[in-house]
Amino acid sequence: MSDFVTGFRISSSGMAAQRMRMNTISSNLANINTTRTPEGGPYRRKDVILESMPDSRNFGEILGVNSPRADMQRVQVTDVVSDRKAPLLKYEPDHPDANADGYVAYPNINMMEEMTNMIQATRSYEANVQALQASKDMALSSLEIGR
Amino acid sequence: MSQLFDKTTSALGTALNMRLLKQNMISSNIANAETPGYHAKKMDFEEALGRALDIDGLRGMSTSSGDHFAVGAGSVSKVRADIYENPEGAINNDGNTVDLEREMSSLTENSIMYKAALQLINKKLAAIRYAATEGR
Repeated sequence: MSDFVTGFRISSSGMAAQRMRMNTISSNLANINTTRTPEGGPYRRKDVILESMPDSRNFGEILGVNSPRADMQRVQVTDVVSDRKAPLLKYEPDHPDANADGYVAYPNINMMEEMTNMIQATRSYEANVQALQASKDMALSSLEIGR
Repeated sequence: MSQLFDKTTSALGTALNMRLLKQNMISSNIANAETPGYHAKKMDFEEALGRALDIDGLRGMSTSSGDHFAVGAGSVSKVRADIYENPEGAINNDGNTVDLEREMSSLTENSIMYKAALQLINKKLAAIRYAATEGR
């Protein structure tokens, strides 16, 4: 049987995933002009990989002894990947990071794309908050049975 | 019927459990609204519950002896929800079929129906309490 905690856990996993996504978007916007990184070269756009997985709630399910319900899927950020697009080359011979031909490699980040992703992440986060709120209201009102 | 808690109360209890299950399922759909390849789930239980309740009196066979098995209308507590992939809704570029607006509206609807069932249970219990306290 299902319980309220399942819904709370699923909604909070959605919120955590969207917050993570928001963090990568912030990172992309903050580093839109970054030409130096510890791994060398310009900053590369980051993106989260979201994956749905069955919501396991006890040891048996987590260890794979019992199989969890496939209907209730939480979401998880399985990986943060770097974009493989070629960097944008700008002719700035005076820049300290310019190559021999005088070109500087800038991150290939589209500001508009990041902004629309940000709006989408905000809306998804809000939807999860709404779902959590509705579950919470239901849980609280069930305490009123027989009052 | 001699029972204190009749069929209606147990049906309302089942309805509450089903609404809770549906709530978790909708939460799952909303959480996965942007997961590539996720297919939205849909859940039906109203028909199964109605069949178990046998409101129209067509499905159940009447028993004339206590040794007879009840045929047709099953127990209300044995009602199982039917969860399947929602065939409606367009598939996104990333293979996701969640329609966020629809999920939000069914979330609200489900929440209201849950509270409605809750109110009905409370009314039934209030009636029992009224009788138990001799109308005081």
